[in-house]
Amino acid sequence: MWGGVSSAHRRDELLQAARLAIDPDRVQLTLDLTPGIAVAQSVLSAIDRDANGSISDAEARAYTEEVLRAIALDVDGTPLRIELADRAVPPIDAVLRGEGTVRIRAAAALPRLAEGRHRLRYHNGYGPDIGAYLANALVPASDRIVVAVQRRDVDQRDLVVEYTLRGDPAARARAGVPVGAAGALVLIANLWWRRRPREAR
Amino acid sequence: MRSPYRIAIATIAAVSVIVAAAAAGRAQRGAATGARADLTARIVVAAQGVLTTLDEAERARVQFPFDGPQKARWSNLPSPMFQRTGVRLADLTSAQRAAVMTLLSTALSRDGYRKVVDIMRGDEVLRTTQGSGGGGRGGGRGPSFGENEYYLAFVGAPSATAPWMLQFGGHHLAINLTLAGSQATMAPSLPAAQPASYTLEGRTVRPLGNENDKAFALINAMDASQRAQAILGYRVADLVLGPGHDGRTIQPEGIRASALATPQQTMLMDLVHEWAGIMNDAFAEPRMAEIKANLPNTYFAWSGPTTNGSAAYFRVQGPTLVIEYAPQGSVDHIHTIYRDPTNDYGATFTAK
Repeated sequence: MWGGVSSAHRRDELLQAARLAIDPDRVQLTLDLTPGIAVAQSVLSAIDRDANGSISDAEARAYTEEVLRAIALDVDGTPLRIELADRAVPPIDAVLRGEGTVRIRAAAALPRLAEGRHRLRYHNGYGPDIGAYLANALVPASDRIVVAVQRRDVDQRDLVVEYTLRGDPAARARAGVPVGAAGALVLIANLWWRRRPREAR
Repeated sequence: MRSPYRIAIATIAAVSVIVAAAAAGRAQRGAATGARADLTARIVVAAQGVLTTLDEAERARVQFPFDGPQKARWSNLPSPMFQRTGVRLADLTSAQRAAVMTLLSTALSRDGYRKVVDIMRGDEVLRTTQGSGGGGRGGGRGPSFGENEYYLAFVGAPSATAPWMLQFGGHHLAINLTLAGSQATMAPSLPAAQPASYTLEGRTVRPLGNENDKAFALINAMDASQRAQAILGYRVADLVLGPGHDGRTIQPEGIRASALATPQQTMLMDLVHEWAGIMNDAFAEPRMAEIKANLPNTYFAWSGPTTNGSAAYFRVQGPTLVIEYAPQGSVDHIHTIYRDPTNDYGATFTAK
């Protein structure tokens, strides 16, 4: 009997924990879905579609794609295309025991953004009838990204991350090379002109 | 008029005082380091005390390589929902079990040991009131509750100098104490409780009662402006950085401790001590000093009602600290997590 679990752990919700890693050129999304024991069977029916007691690769792919279709990302109002990067679907018995977590990793390329303030919006519309949501921005790995503020709706289905994109010092350095080289050439030419014998001028 | 002689004497005296103070400081630090190394040695003796009571098969079960996956194998879930490895208290004789508890009482502070025992006894209350568990291995696939269902593992061989980890856990408890000579960390660890309050021998026991009460006292000590910064406008259903979320750092939120008055900062540090102080005082002291040094960059966030007795989530997050306290739908079922994003599993002092 699994009755003891009922009061021991979340039973009637599908916990959906999202973490967003913002890079200058893309957003990485990690989404963990953990069904409580009371909703495990209904979640399983959405995964094991032929109800044969095992989850095929095609079923796992179909389920993760269904989840991702309910996720929306946009930056400054421009919708982003979310691409599945990796997935892990637990065995059925693990889900039934209440310890199974479907792990989805996805990414979306960002358009070329100007330096300055931007707004990334995340919306999770999957399983609103049973969902309990967490949504957090990770501390950015790039020092070009500075998260200013995160705003959410009360259920954390919506998260807005306002952040600042700083200039790329490497790109600036690359852009500065031709200017520096031209300046050096002018300087050398000037010195050469001044050092020429007076009669040669 | 001052004579050169007097000036020289005064200078020599001042330099002497500075040198003496520096030497005293070094000696004090050296003594503290020595005391921590001595404590590690005592923990090793207690760990060997456990090993000598075990037979060969049990010793093989309790011992894991330091660089293997065992370090991260911990959970809040009961067995066998989460399959633990190591030696299970239920399988030990009373002498063996006594040796395990002696080891824990050596490694942990008095309050930390009490907290661990209270959590275990709480699970025993859960077993008796739920009427489930205790089935043990092969006795069915249902969850096993109760104070017998806790496991001990040594990750790496107990050593006074080389890194190793004392791992003890079961339902609602994961203690991961990594030791390396005079250095130690208890991150990540997970003290949790269900029931959060119970009666034992006529006494009310609240394993995480101090954590709850100190947090409510802090949020209620804030003025309206501070609360507006501290209180998150959304529901937090669970731990964000619970089991399985090693190596992640979320963007901090809430009120910065630098915006708190000194008495409020003291309350925050007192709250943090409920987790950092689970390990022995000799190890907790430098850890608290480190957390205090980072206090200006530490945040306190709150989600939920502010009346004590309500279910409210809170988080303390600093450069070397993450603490979360997450009621699981009611005040009688609490999960918490304690992490050091820079030093989980002793990453800084066990790196090769």
